Amino acid sequence: MAGEQVSSFVFRHSRRHLTRHFREWSVALALGLLLLMLAVLAAGFFQRNQLLSICSTAVPVLLVACGIALVIISRQIDISVGSQFAVCSVLLGLLVQAHWPMPLAGLAAIIAGAFCGAFNGALIAGLGLPSIVVTLATMVTWREGLRWWRQGEFVRDLPESFQWFGLGQAGGQTAVLATTVALFLLLVFGMKHISAGRFVYAVGSDTEAARLAGIRPPLVTFGVFVVTGTLTGLAALLNAVRFADVDPRTGTGLELQAIAAAVVGGVAISGGRGNLWGVLAGVLLLACIAPALVFLKLPPQWEKALQGCIILLAVAADGWRSVRRKH
Amino acid sequence: MQPFGARASKGCIAAICWCPILLLLGAMGCSKPNQSAETKRSAARQITVAMMPKSKGNAYFISCRKGADEAAKELGAKLLWDGPTDPDPARQNELVETWITRGVDVIAVAVENREGISTALRKAREKGTKVITWDSDAQPDARDFLINQATPEGIGFALMDEAARALGGKGQFAIITASLTAANMNEWQKYIEQRRAEKYPGIKMAALRPCDDLKDKAFAEATAILNANPEVKLLMAICSPAVPGASEAVKQSGRKDVKVVGLGLPNDNKRYVREGITPSVILWNTENLGYLAVHAAVAVAKGELKPGATKFKAGRLGELEVKADNVLLGKPFVFNKENIERFDF
Amino acid sequence: MNTNEHGSSKWQAFRRFETLLAFVLLLEILIFSKTGVNFATRGNMFEVLRLSTEIGLLALVMTPIILTGGIDLSVGSMLGLCAVLFGKMWRDAGLPIPLALACTLVIGAAGGGLNALLITRLNLPPLIVTLGSFSLFRGLAEALTRGVDNFTNFPKTYLFLGQGYLFGGVPAQLPVFALVVIGVWLLVHRTILGRSFRALGFSAEGARYAGIPVKKRLAQVYILSGIISALAALIYVARVGQAKSDAGTGYELLAITAVVLGGASIFGGTGTIHGTLLGVLVLAVLKIGLTLSDQPSELAGILTGGLLLAVLASEALLKKLSARRARASQASVRVLT
Repeated sequence: MAGEQVSSFVFRHSRRHLTRHFREWSVALALGLLLLMLAVLAAGFFQRNQLLSICSTAVPVLLVACGIALVIISRQIDISVGSQFAVCSVLLGLLVQAHWPMPLAGLAAIIAGAFCGAFNGALIAGLGLPSIVVTLATMVTWREGLRWWRQGEFVRDLPESFQWFGLGQAGGQTAVLATTVALFLLLVFGMKHISAGRFVYAVGSDTEAARLAGIRPPLVTFGVFVVTGTLTGLAALLNAVRFADVDPRTGTGLELQAIAAAVVGGVAISGGRGNLWGVLAGVLLLACIAPALVFLKLPPQWEKALQGCIILLAVAADGWRSVRRKH
Repeated sequence: MQPFGARASKGCIAAICWCPILLLLGAMGCSKPNQSAETKRSAARQITVAMMPKSKGNAYFISCRKGADEAAKELGAKLLWDGPTDPDPARQNELVETWITRGVDVIAVAVENREGISTALRKAREKGTKVITWDSDAQPDARDFLINQATPEGIGFALMDEAARALGGKGQFAIITASLTAANMNEWQKYIEQRRAEKYPGIKMAALRPCDDLKDKAFAEATAILNANPEVKLLMAICSPAVPGASEAVKQSGRKDVKVVGLGLPNDNKRYVREGITPSVILWNTENLGYLAVHAAVAVAKGELKPGATKFKAGRLGELEVKADNVLLGKPFVFNKENIERFDF
Repeated sequence: MNTNEHGSSKWQAFRRFETLLAFVLLLEILIFSKTGVNFATRGNMFEVLRLSTEIGLLALVMTPIILTGGIDLSVGSMLGLCAVLFGKMWRDAGLPIPLALACTLVIGAAGGGLNALLITRLNLPPLIVTLGSFSLFRGLAEALTRGVDNFTNFPKTYLFLGQGYLFGGVPAQLPVFALVVIGVWLLVHRTILGRSFRALGFSAEGARYAGIPVKKRLAQVYILSGIISALAALIYVARVGQAKSDAGTGYELLAITAVVLGGASIFGGTGTIHGTLLGVLVLAVLKIGLTLSDQPSELAGILTGGLLLAVLASEALLKKLSARRARASQASVRVLT
């Protein structure tokens, strides 16, 4: 009797959980299917080296996608993160080249990201300008400015303390992954349990209601952009230390990757809905496509078309659900 | 209730906005005739060379520009250096057409789209501007001369030879290219394949992946290739950011049996050559290429370099061979452990 | 009475903005006449219009879309896909040019129809749908040509459209451009269709209650976008002389920049065709003027971003000022009564 009650309770509870987080679970399912297919067709995918490489490539995208998820949940958008990433990376390289100690240079890179985010936030929250236009303008300005300054030249001849923070490959990789995991868990906790996190959802769901409830939407919006900028700066740091020199064209296409990952992961563009676990699933799914094509020996042209299809499918699932709910 | 007043004010707005447009059209009426014809006449004044790399923001072209600046200073010519900063393939055309409007003496282009740019270059030639291409060619009837650092055949063969040397004559290799649409890289691949089929039938190409000309992406692609194809013992990276990217991937994978060769700048690859991951890097002296291109451009503008020439004297480079309408810088240069430290670009 | 005051102050702000833009354009023309070589010549003015035709077309069709509160990020990729399919139809399927032209326009409509379907039937946000089709169309174009294939050697009669000049030095694509400008202006400003776009932008629900067939209108505007993108593709291929899968890369952002610069609100409801046209001209004159003044291309990018921010920020500040003034005058009226 008790057993029946417990099992029915678990069943109802998990079914409610599943329907509420349907999108996130469907992405996780898609990821699982892809991994299954690879396990059958190209088991070499699961080598430690390859998985590490995918994770290292996914680290900057994950951090930036988390920031962008926050922005999208609060019903804004930020397409300048790629340029911010490049600026922070080059700044980091140049400071280290000028013999700044690594921790200080890293901090400077993160603060630079925060400043970029603050600039966006000030224009969007302060003057009420539409976020797509402001971030479009800053994206172009920062990217062209950086290109004019560096002319594409790598930042080379960096001291030993740069790559992997001087900890060597194994130590450095562990440090990067551990930092990312810790930060991600912190963000998940913050979004759920800290009031500032809940404010983001509130502002995204209904700005006027949030204002009437005592939340200051402009402040929340500003904060969200600063957080995104900071995360971008950190992502730039964690990405740059994987290499021995800095390519100023790094971060090209990052904004699209991050937005795609967030959207695929269930963050609704209309705001107010989204979950960082979904973002994680989205990031991993999209990060596995390119190497999957290599392992499955498929022509590389299909990468873009596949990504477009996945995005459309994910969003179609969203729309189908909302249409169904209406009836 | 939209009163008549609102309609009228909308009309006012429309009128205000159409004004500058009409002004523009009006300016066309009272225009000065195109000055370029007059300015061309006096030979004593400064020659203007408009030089375009494939794209700005590529380190390879920075070193070309250094040589170009040097030559311009030597010859007292005015050098306009500009190129596309965005991936729009038609941007080279736009720039050439704007230079035609401006009126320059000679246009020197490193071509991204062979057929596309030829349209604009032919138009320039019709208007009397001299045209040369450097680094990669347009259609032959669209330009006066090509400044060739090495023929695509020479580059392709040299790459395959170095790869074969590193592989010891047989085995598998993979190519990392910039993009699948880049015309000159597709030509090199053709000659690589030709050389492989002729001289090294024991070597197979296992994979070909693009890296969008980004070092980080080349790193990721190289890692995936190595993991997916354990038989591959050599990575051939034919765009300059890919060589250090692939070398770093090999280094981080810990595989001592894999080598990297490619086309890249010495400075980017010195550390990997030293560590033995990259036995050789092929290139040419890019500064000399830029230097030669400007010298040739000025000579063509002044009429000193004419079709049918067999030799061309280019400043400090001395006498260079001219084959048909190709001015040859020389053969591709192989940078390896013995000589790479001598160079700084 | 309040509404009339508020209404007239709104028109005040409006009028001030587009005049501001016209003033910026005049300023640019004056500056570049001084610093640019051969800037203030008839030939150059025609070139400015000629080189901005494709982006101008995209911006023109983007305006009604933005008026409805939507966006279309796929126009550039649509251009690329249409270019490639046009080349394929002409070269591989052997179709005569006029038939290939017509088919390309139909394909453009079909692409726009796909966007329209996803946006209206599934109620998906246009930003995301067009972000997906942006990747999809470009990916299709690359897959069809395996990235490498390049269609060239089109007949001279077709190339005349992009490269030829009519009597008086008028570029051949200008009459086409002018026709589209007039057509779209009439559509947006003088027809009921155009008014319904604005209504949709202000409030989709309100428009529905007012009896406007929302889904039909949205479908119409996205299909129109597809057709005009196809037209732009045809002019592009004629101008450059080749059809490759990377055609039109980045054009969508340039078009959006021009539309927003022209005073359209990205949230929908406000915007004019003459404003967009001014925006297109401001950006084109900036780019070409800088090159004629021997300045590097990066400066054009930086100034474009800066100009966009400056114009928008000043518009926002002006609106705040006039709102404050309106509030102050209301308060003073209340004090008097």
